[in-house]
Amino acid sequence: MSNFLADPREPREPAVATAVFRIARSRPGSPDPAWREYEVPLKGHTVVLDALEWIRSRVDNTLLYRHSCHHGSCGTCGMVINGEHALSCTTNVMDLLEKSREAGGPPTVVVEPLPTMNLIADLAVDPAPLFRDFPAGAGYLRESEFNRGSEVPREIERFVRFENCIECGLCVAACPVVRIRDFMAPAALAAYNREIGKNPDRAAELLGEVDSDRGVWGCDRHLECSRVCPTGVYPAKHIVELQRRIKKSREA
Amino acid sequence: MKSSHGHVLVIGGGGTGAAIIHDLLLQGFSATLVERGELTSGTTGRHHGQLHSGARYAAGDREIARECIQEVEILRRIAPESLEMNYGLFLALTPEDLAFAPDFLDACREATIPVREIPLDQAFRMEPNVNRQARMAVLVPDGTIDAWRLPLQFFATARAGGAAIRTFTEVMEIESAAGSVTGVRVREQATGREYRIAADMVVSAAGAWAGTVAQRAGIHIPVTPAPGTMVAVKKRLNNMVISHLHPAGDGDIIVPQRGLSIVGSTQWLAEDPDSIEVPSAQIEYLVRRASEMIPAFRETPFHAAWAACRPLAGASSNVEDGRKLSRDFIAIDHGRSDNLKGFISVIGGKATVLRAMGEKTVDLVCEHFGVRRECTTAVTPLLPHRAYYNTVPAGRSA
Repeated sequence: MSNFLADPREPREPAVATAVFRIARSRPGSPDPAWREYEVPLKGHTVVLDALEWIRSRVDNTLLYRHSCHHGSCGTCGMVINGEHALSCTTNVMDLLEKSREAGGPPTVVVEPLPTMNLIADLAVDPAPLFRDFPAGAGYLRESEFNRGSEVPREIERFVRFENCIECGLCVAACPVVRIRDFMAPAALAAYNREIGKNPDRAAELLGEVDSDRGVWGCDRHLECSRVCPTGVYPAKHIVELQRRIKKSREA
Repeated sequence: MKSSHGHVLVIGGGGTGAAIIHDLLLQGFSATLVERGELTSGTTGRHHGQLHSGARYAAGDREIARECIQEVEILRRIAPESLEMNYGLFLALTPEDLAFAPDFLDACREATIPVREIPLDQAFRMEPNVNRQARMAVLVPDGTIDAWRLPLQFFATARAGGAAIRTFTEVMEIESAAGSVTGVRVREQATGREYRIAADMVVSAAGAWAGTVAQRAGIHIPVTPAPGTMVAVKKRLNNMVISHLHPAGDGDIIVPQRGLSIVGSTQWLAEDPDSIEVPSAQIEYLVRRASEMIPAFRETPFHAAWAACRPLAGASSNVEDGRKLSRDFIAIDHGRSDNLKGFISVIGGKATVLRAMGEKTVDLVCEHFGVRRECTTAVTPLLPHRAYYNTVPAGRSA
């Protein structure tokens, strides 16, 4: 039984600050967004997603955006926030205001949808383009590297965990190459390298699928993918590794 | 596709709706699911992710615990890639905990959960970061669910089977004629366009929003949102789920996931499930509770705090008439209690037993249509989560 159930009052706290959210509102068929501004009260721990929830539940219930886990694991809530590709659920608003102030800018948070995905409306996108080139049959589990060397219960072979990549698409949206030509893009290529690492038997088959101009040779090494990745996948590193694997297989 | 027994419309894209629409398709129905926002944007996705062996519930309710362990075994077969199946440790920390332990172990065994006490030094070798003052350790088959990708596997499989899944589509009105449901009027949120979807039956699986949905049929169901807070830190401190061995309370479970450790939960009562805010005091409280089990939790950088709304069904005649499909999962047949045939609301349940909730709900659907029931979801492997986006969507509006 929860200790908090005994208190019949819903916890409400005073705001410690406010921020102006300037949000790109788009509808299908009209590509140029209309900008709308909302003043949102903040607590110290308020993240951009909390602010969007506040706007939708109290001011404007037509605002559309994707969200699910609220802790950086599902990958649905990627957006462009003050020009940076980021997850709205782990981007603290007070930190944004602080950065703005240091740069001499206004206490405003500008929010736009992720580019390169299919826009539904406002900040909501259909991420289907992200998944187009993922390797078929690639698993989502890997061996856990945490507390390495610890004893494992006899019921299981090893401790496992989900892949770091949460398929949020930030790397794809931030990649300068994706915007100018057909490219398999960082997320899918990183998944190829991960899969080869876990299943070396599939190396020849999978390397064949990325050994092309739209595959690993399409990368111009801008490194934006590794910079924006919220979970430390470093896709650029995987692309370089795939290139190395291909060169090595040619020499063999 | 098999010939359809009828068209069923499911409201709500959470775990329950996911399991229901998957089961409906396997059973030979045609089905459409509508969700106001993104899939699992209500309660399901914000789940802390514990795959419950049932040990947490056994002392309070053997039946729920037994269902949990059965469903753990089933999910390990049909959706292994959405589970970190690393088992769990219950730790007794105080003399009171030790006194409770025999009851805990008996209850787990009665619920058919394979538990075993392990030596403390072995527990510390498995989980070096746990509190070394622990007095007893019990191993249970707990694990971690990917709260987005497990439901997505159900949706992917349903969609490949021909289900229409329409997100950002809100039900405005549940329509009826002569006391029977005829369909729903929905609004496509992106365009504001309203249109009708004809249906032979409507199943509301809207969880904490079930009251709002029922209102759109002119029916009152008292559902109180009961949110709970969770806190994640930026390092995975444990591979196994770590639980405090005591009668269930606040902040007594640390679920590891990817590179994070997550402590949950609390519970309070709210008015509106859409305007829940995380109380700052609960963040500090949860970190303190977590640190009793894993002392390093307190020193680990904060990652996120969030809240999710469980639905609590209150007292009313239709809820009283509702059929308890399990102890905490009820179905209200509005044909019996509110004179609206072909409309049912399902409320409650747990993430771990989502498949079973789907099975029980579709049992009722089959009863309504007079269809012979052959549930196969326990033995049907689900498609990978990415198939949701790689499959050509059926029935998707342009």
